[in-house]
This record gives sequence, C-alpha cells and structure tokens, in this order.
Amino acid sequence: MEKTSMFSIHEGKPIRCKAAVSRKPGEALVIEEIHVDPPQAYEVRIKIICTSLCHTDVSFSKIDSGPLARFPRILGHEAVGVIESIGEHVNGFQQGDIVLPVFHPHCEECRDCKSSKSNWCARFADDFLSNTRRYGMTSRFKDSFGEDIYHFLFVSSFSEYTVVDIAHLVKISPDIPVDKAALLSCGVSTGIGAAWKVANVEKGSTVAVFGLGAVGLAVGEGARLRGAGKIIGVDLNPEKFELGKKFGFTSFINPTLCGEKKISEVIKEMTGGGVDYSFECVGLPSLLTEAFSSTRTGSGKTVVLGIDKHLTPVSLGSFDLLRGRHVCGSLFGGLKPKLDIPILVDHYLKKELNLDSFITHELKFEEINKAFDLLVQGKSLRCILWMNK
Amino acid sequence: MDKASITEGKPIRCKAAILRKAGEPLVIEEIQVDPPQAYEVRIKILCTSLCHTDVTFWKLDSGPLARFPRILGHEAVGVVESIGEKVDGFKQGDVVLPVFHPQCEECKECISPKSNWCTKYTNDYLSNTRRYGMTSRFKDSRGEDIHHFIFVSSFTEYTVVDIAHLVKISPEIPVDIAALLSCSVATGLGAAWKVADVEEGSTVVIFGLGAVGLAVAEGVRLLGAAKIIGVDLNPAKFEIGKRFGITDFVNPALCGEKTISEVIREMTDVGADYSFECIGLASLMEEAFKSTRPGSGKTIVLGMEQKALPISLGSYDLLRGRTVCGTLFGGLKPKLDIPILVDRYLKKELNLEDLITHELSFEEINKAFHLLAEGNSIRCIIWMDK
Repeated sequence: MEKTSMFSIHEGKPIRCKAAVSRKPGEALVIEEIHVDPPQAYEVRIKIICTSLCHTDVSFSKIDSGPLARFPRILGHEAVGVIESIGEHVNGFQQGDIVLPVFHPHCEECRDCKSSKSNWCARFADDFLSNTRRYGMTSRFKDSFGEDIYHFLFVSSFSEYTVVDIAHLVKISPDIPVDKAALLSCGVSTGIGAAWKVANVEKGSTVAVFGLGAVGLAVGEGARLRGAGKIIGVDLNPEKFELGKKFGFTSFINPTLCGEKKISEVIKEMTGGGVDYSFECVGLPSLLTEAFSSTRTGSGKTVVLGIDKHLTPVSLGSFDLLRGRHVCGSLFGGLKPKLDIPILVDHYLKKELNLDSFITHELKFEEINKAFDLLVQGKSLRCILWMNK
Repeated sequence: MDKASITEGKPIRCKAAILRKAGEPLVIEEIQVDPPQAYEVRIKILCTSLCHTDVTFWKLDSGPLARFPRILGHEAVGVVESIGEKVDGFKQGDVVLPVFHPQCEECKECISPKSNWCTKYTNDYLSNTRRYGMTSRFKDSRGEDIHHFIFVSSFTEYTVVDIAHLVKISPEIPVDIAALLSCSVATGLGAAWKVADVEEGSTVVIFGLGAVGLAVAEGVRLLGAAKIIGVDLNPAKFEIGKRFGITDFVNPALCGEKTISEVIREMTDVGADYSFECIGLASLMEEAFKSTRPGSGKTIVLGMEQKALPISLGSYDLLRGRTVCGTLFGGLKPKLDIPILVDRYLKKELNLEDLITHELSFEEINKAFHLLAEGNSIRCIIWMDK
C-alpha cells in the first residue's frame, strides 16, 4: 500500500497543507497554507478527500458577534477522508481507513449513547464550541504566523488535513463512491433519520416537508422508501419541485402562490384534514407554526430539524396541542452516527437509496467560494469540493 | 324496572343544579327532561363528582363558551332509564358512564388505533345535542331551554346523552369509583399508559396533584417508574401522593431563586424521562418541558390552558431531541378502554378509593365547589337522591 508509506512520513509531525480560512464575517474564505498538528490521544488525523457545503457553514461564516462568532476559523463539516495517522488509545481505526467525520458526537459510553431512545450523547453534545473534545480550546491548526485557527463543530473539513476526536468519527465501507459518502456525514442522514427514526413514517402516511434543501429532500427520500402515500413539498423556489420528484415528492406548494390562505390551510384541504407527519427543515418559527397546524388532530406529528440563528422560541397553540398532536426536535435525524451511518451506506450499496441526485455541482477546493455563491443563490443542492490529490 | 317504563316516552320532572349566573352558587330547581330521540339515551344519574373543568366553565361570564342557564357536570355514573330509536348495545337498567369525549366508532380516527380524536364530533363541544344542534332536552319551570354541557350535564337527576358519549360498564364496580373513570382517572391512567407508555425504571415528574395528576402517578407506578416527582403548591398533596406512588415532592413556593425545572434537573441528573402537566397553565407546561432530559425527554400536556395562551418552547431545547404532545381523555377510546380500566379495578390492580375524599348529598353540591377551590378535596362524590 503506497499510501501507507506516504502517511508514515508525517506521522507524529505537523503537516503543512492548504485550508480555506474564514477570517472575517461574511467575507470570502481565503486559501492559505496552514500547519496541522499530529493527533493526540483519542484523536485521528484525516486527509480529506472531498467535502460539501451545508447551510450551517454559511450561517456561521456570517456571524459577526456573540459567542458563536470565532475568527479565524476553518469551517466545513460534511466530508469524507482517509486516516493518515492515529493518536494513542484509538481503537477501531487505522491508517488507510475510509472515514466520515461527523459534527454529532457519539461517545458510546454515556447513558444516552447506550439507550436506544436517544442520540443526545450526554457526555459531549452540550458543548459545540470547544476546539477539541478532550483538550478544551487547544487547536490543532496554526496559520503561517503561528496563530491558532478555530475548529468548527469538531470537524473542520475545509482543509486538506484535519484532526478529529474518535467520538466524531465513523468508519465506512470503501465500496461507496466517496462523494456520495460525504453526503451521509450531515444533511442527507439528518433527513432520512428524521423520517425513519424520529417520525417512523409508515406505509400510506401523508407527509409535508417545509424547505426542500438537502435535508428536506432527504426526508422525502426517507418517506418514499417507507411507502408514504402522499409527500408534499413546500418551498419558495419552483425549481425544487422537479428535483423533488426524484426523491418521491408527489405535490408541491409555493407559499407565494397561496393567496389569502395559509400554507396549513392549503395542506389541510389537500389531505382531508391534515398530514400525519410534517417536517420543518428551514429554521423559521413562523414556518414551524404552519408545519404544526398542518398536521391532523388526534395523531399528527411535527418534527423540527431547522433552527434560526436568533434561537427565537417556538409558539404552539395549547388547544391545538391538547387535541392529540406531537412536536419533537432532533439533531442529526435522531441517528447514532457509528451505528446508523453504516446502515445508510449499506442501503446505498444495495441501490435502495438515491444519493446521486443530491449532487448538482462539482468544483475544485480552490473554487470553494463559488460553492457559497451557488448555495446562497439557491442554484445548488450539494456541491462537492474535491481536494487536490 | 316498572318505574322506568312508566316514564318512557314522556318528559320527566326532576331536580337539577342550574348555573344561572357566572361564579354564583348553583340553584337546585325542578326541571323537565324530554325523552331521548334517535341515537339518544335518558339516564338516571346515581352519583357525580366535580372536576376543575366544571369550575372553569362555572366562572366564565362572557365569550362564546359562556352559556346560561346551564347544567354542568360531566364526571358521573348512571342507569339507563329509556332509550331512543336506533340505539344498539344499550337497554333499560344498564349501568353506564356518560363521557364528554365522543367516540362515533365510524370515522377514520375512531377506526385507527393511533388516535382517539373522533373527527365526526370532536370539533364541536358547544352544541346541546350531537345530532339535533342547539335543541335542548332540558326545560326549566318556566318552559325555557337550559343549555347542556359537553354532551353530559350530570348535575341533574336525569340527563339525555348521545350514544357516542356513552359507555356500558360492569355493574360489579362500586358506582362512586366508576364515576371517576368517566373523566379524571381515565385521563390520568390513559396518559401514563397509552400516550407516554412509561418504561420500567423511568423518572417521571407530575405537575399538579389533583385527581388527574394522582391518576398519572398511579399509572406510572404500575408501570414500574423508579422515581415519581410530584409538583404542587399544596404540601398536603404529598402525603396523599405517597399512596399513589409519588416518591419526591417539589413545592414551587419553596424553590427560592431557582425555577422548578432547574430543581428537577438537579434531582434527576440532567432531567426526567417524562413530565406531565395536569393543571392548565402555559408557564407550567414550559417548565414541564424544560424538566425533561435532552435526547429523549417527553412532555405530555393534559391541562386545558385556562386563558388559551400559547406555549413557548426554546427552539434549541426542542432540537436537542425533546418531544411535547397533548391529549384529551388520556388518548383513550372511551367504549374500548374504560371497560379495561373497570376490569383492572375489579382485579384489585388499581388504587382509586383514596381519590374520594368527601361525599355530599345533591342539595349540598355548592359545598363541593368550596372544597375544591380551597384545595381540600381530591374528588367529592355527590349522591343523587335515591
């Protein structure tokens, strides 16, 4: 294995490589040379093969104040890589493994990781701002001035190399094309997990999905595979409907064309009283209220996947709730990364899951800022950024 | 039953406790109760009890929900005096529970096991009859209509109830215990068993230790909950709560600077597995929500918000994997599920006697309002004259 010799050259030493650094809020990322320190105990250093842009990266690149604003920072959290070297006390991973770094932790030891009911790793999930899991604000990245660069959600994939804690790492089969694999480290898994695990959509159900980005379309795909009878997509962009059909969407609502009626009223008319399941995949409190009101009384369930940056509280009518409705939220679609992602990889390899249609663009790493433009302008779904070989 | 056949098909003159003015004592008057029409049944009430929902409507002086004069009461047990046409499954002499929650048995929801929200009827809770609109079966001594109340109206010696609101039960269960199963206890047990389906070893928090809250406690105790925390402003509720399985008690008045949810999170590591709101205050529903653990915490809302205020939830708190749901009548389908509860009582699996703290005669009904308002009673059984 030629690659192993190449990795062992750098083992235990810092690596000089390129990264796209976010230096100022709202400004283009800068491709710079950085140093990536070797992995410490319970860490792994990964060579990123390709990465994709998710709205969460865009949101954080714009935050200019408050505790979430950190500069300079290496963003990116949806990616696939190969292990270059491992730190001490790392079991289950070795050089050459194909891995997905994931933003959602899975320590496998705490009460919640052991429970089948929860994916909220009590040990790690409440902290999403430190640079490393076990070493606080220590950073493994330094710029050419020797200054620390902040990590992002324990992944930081907009870099040729990154260092990731094993609680954030999933080993996957090398059989899956890497660009499709990268999608499973965030958005698509979130959507499918929400449909399968959180909502548990059953055959013949009616479903409404608010927001047809990668997460929303993945919810549709998940609902389709469960045999949902009617899958309604709600989006302001009419182009999303053609794309949505590939993921099982049967009907489409454009809120600007609803006239006097509320979206929830239109949905209730279309479904004779409301959908069994609704999913909010945008992060707007007003849409969540609509998603909630769109479900049928007695058994309707609303799943919240999006969040707005102001953390505006969600307001629910108490009588509407009392009439038998459920509302729940989830991160990462309720999935336990190390257990569930390999299952999704397997579904893909058995040709049961459509991942290919999520990829609408491909660019080189140096063109990363174009990927931001494409996403913000609503022209892309997932743009794969290939690192240099 | 010779007496029943005498009045069959004719109006019955009897006593009722009538609400004439909001917030004022009910007036015992002679009324006339018309015979049941098609799909209706006329019932002789044996005993009834006062529930907070009666009190809420008793106080309403304006708005679309306020109706005068009115016969309140919806937690009761009775005997069928006569039946209207097209009534199957009920006959004179049957012991029955009238229930406020409808079950038509024909609509999609009644047929589905997932829902108890009968779409045929649940959207209307203000009409006087199910199939005859605002027609009333009650007339006062001047011949004026008296409004029904949520399709039951049990503060009267006789009432007329649609079959969608009627459950036949075994005559073996003591009638005062049976009355409790027509509302509060069914709601609490249903919430614990059907809606939450609490697992053995869970931690549970119950906000409000009235009849509903204590029934929730009984329900989760029987499912093997390890820690059952009761939250109430009335310290007397802790002693009685222990009989229903409550292991810990939080009095919000003694929490000092801390919020109730902070106290509960301290008591339970990061939060309870389940919380139940059994009062009807949006602020408490929000505390109940924050009392549960991220990742899997579930909040069940049973209380009817007294001012119809919305509930405000933190979006990040929700995103971290919490669930909140609401339910009426504990998610139960009355005709199917109440007989199951009766059966469990008869098998001595349920402690319900301790919920009955007082007994009064029908003429003393206004005392029941005082007892409930003062927080001194759980359930007061009001016995009709024989």
